[in-house]
Amino acid sequence: MTRSAKYLLVIKTLALWAFLLFACLPLVQMTLISFVATLPHPGVAVGRPTLNNYAGIWTDPSLRSAFLNSVAYVLINICITVPVAIPAAYAFSRLSFLGDKHLFFAFIAFRITPPVVLTLPVFQLFSALGIVNSVFGIALAHCLFNLPIAIWILQGFISAIPKEMDETAFLDGHSRLHFIWKILLPQIAPGIAVTAFFCFMFSWVEVVFARILTTTNGKPISMAINALFGFQTDIGLVMAVTATSTLPGAVLLFAMRNHLSRGFKVGRL
Amino acid sequence: MTAISLGLDDRGGLLIDDCRINSARLLVVDRKDSLQGARHGGFNSGLHSLAQRLPVSVSRMKDRTQTGWLFVLPSVLILSLIGLVPLLTVVNYSFFEIFILDARFWVGTEWYAEIIGSGRFWASFGRSLLFSTMILCVQIPLGIAIALCIPKRKIWVGITLAVLALPLLVPWNMIPSLWLSLLNPETGLLGRILPYLGWPDNWKLSAQHTWAVIVVMDVWHWTSLVVILCYSALATIPQSYYQAAAIDGAGPWQVFRHIQLPKLHHVLLMAVLLRFMDSFMIYTEAFPINAGGPNGATMFLAVDLGEDIKAFNYGPSAARSVIYFLIVLTVAWMFSKAQGKLDGTEAT
Repeated sequence: MTRSAKYLLVIKTLALWAFLLFACLPLVQMTLISFVATLPHPGVAVGRPTLNNYAGIWTDPSLRSAFLNSVAYVLINICITVPVAIPAAYAFSRLSFLGDKHLFFAFIAFRITPPVVLTLPVFQLFSALGIVNSVFGIALAHCLFNLPIAIWILQGFISAIPKEMDETAFLDGHSRLHFIWKILLPQIAPGIAVTAFFCFMFSWVEVVFARILTTTNGKPISMAINALFGFQTDIGLVMAVTATSTLPGAVLLFAMRNHLSRGFKVGRL
Repeated sequence: MTAISLGLDDRGGLLIDDCRINSARLLVVDRKDSLQGARHGGFNSGLHSLAQRLPVSVSRMKDRTQTGWLFVLPSVLILSLIGLVPLLTVVNYSFFEIFILDARFWVGTEWYAEIIGSGRFWASFGRSLLFSTMILCVQIPLGIAIALCIPKRKIWVGITLAVLALPLLVPWNMIPSLWLSLLNPETGLLGRILPYLGWPDNWKLSAQHTWAVIVVMDVWHWTSLVVILCYSALATIPQSYYQAAAIDGAGPWQVFRHIQLPKLHHVLLMAVLLRFMDSFMIYTEAFPINAGGPNGATMFLAVDLGEDIKAFNYGPSAARSVIYFLIVLTVAWMFSKAQGKLDGTEAT
């Protein structure tokens, strides 16, 4: 290794560590406060270390159900998004049909439309359909931004599969649907995992739809945290709930890390 | 490259049409004597064509069939229900004065004229544009740089990416709270250090300091997405490209310019589009930092719309929504033009 290559490696490593530190700083702050009593509780003075905040999550039924609601709507969203996105991604990757480019453009336009623009009519529409205050309503609304992103990611994965594989399958007498189901799906399994992870990520943290679609019931974890703010906010509890709410994602991320690190071919715009 | 090589292994002799001969030729270069092949064509032309021509030749081979519509039909139905129908509703409302939803009066384009003619709209527009520009100028170069810094050793890559992505998993309404507690002068990790560096106690009274907090917060929140997208594209570059470059004596800058950057084009276009629009319409995170203050210095476009909706001004908020959607369409159109241009330069 030459001298300049060594310097470059040192600089790269330092830069990466600096950025990792920056990325962790607010999270470290959050974790520190979550283990401190910030309001007087029986048996522990303000400012002393305590596990009360985490215990408080389990004893509060509204927080517990909020966690369940969040998990439920994210799972429902993934179950809607992925099966609907796979055939669409296949079509955009392999087939040419009238208006395909314009349609893809329209999908991307919906992804970048800010939810706040559509809040009012979406609320009215979902009230008319009777799916407000339910996890299904939020899951459906989140398809607005998750579906286009899922199609975009999956399209990249499918385009990385050689076209010859399709043609061989057709020569062997497979129909298009049969080919997708039997041959393509196992090939793009890592892509489905990555897509599901992105759906989880964007859906779990979203607030605007989650707020307007849950006025009485079905509140997700983000809204349950909002409800903790008041005249005397127990900021320790707030941080404990926030820390806990990032845990499922962190676990999923850790499980996914090898799929992400292998890299994936991303589709065209 | 693996894409083509698999197909050739199965049915190597059958490939006769033009683009396949092209890819077969490239395959030989890559497999047998990638180093010589790259040198033979000169560093630029050899590697350049390898990196850039393949995706184009693959995408040209599409079946022309209208059954494609059946495959996209479910997506079209869902996005029509939750995207198109609400959008048309908003367009409809925007031409009415609405007290309650059952009693409304046609006012034509009055709301539009009022919004477009107001200084408040253009001030917010300017602020959002400035904010997005700053975000792009920081996040895109930083994201690329960090993606290039990620080590090549397998174990560390996964862990690094996992740690980097953590900010993306925090519920958006909690992000301002995290940063406010970080800046808290009594308990915050930064808040206790910053005063020694000249950070004022009453920073909320200063527009510059409020802006700095929001920009740094957004950089913290979203740069990781750019890093992950860039890394995903970089990781698909075959090792042989780097070996060929090393034999040619290419420096780090040439490797970046001629090998890595061409692979990043498409993913960067998407990253820029997502980051531009999401920061242009920032809503949940920006407002709680300083309630749009001081003196409205951090009132962005989406915050204005949020205030309208909260006040139940159906007509004006609908008109505002339509104007914002037109901005979205214009931006998306510009990006799709840019994509077309990018394809044009790559095909030649």
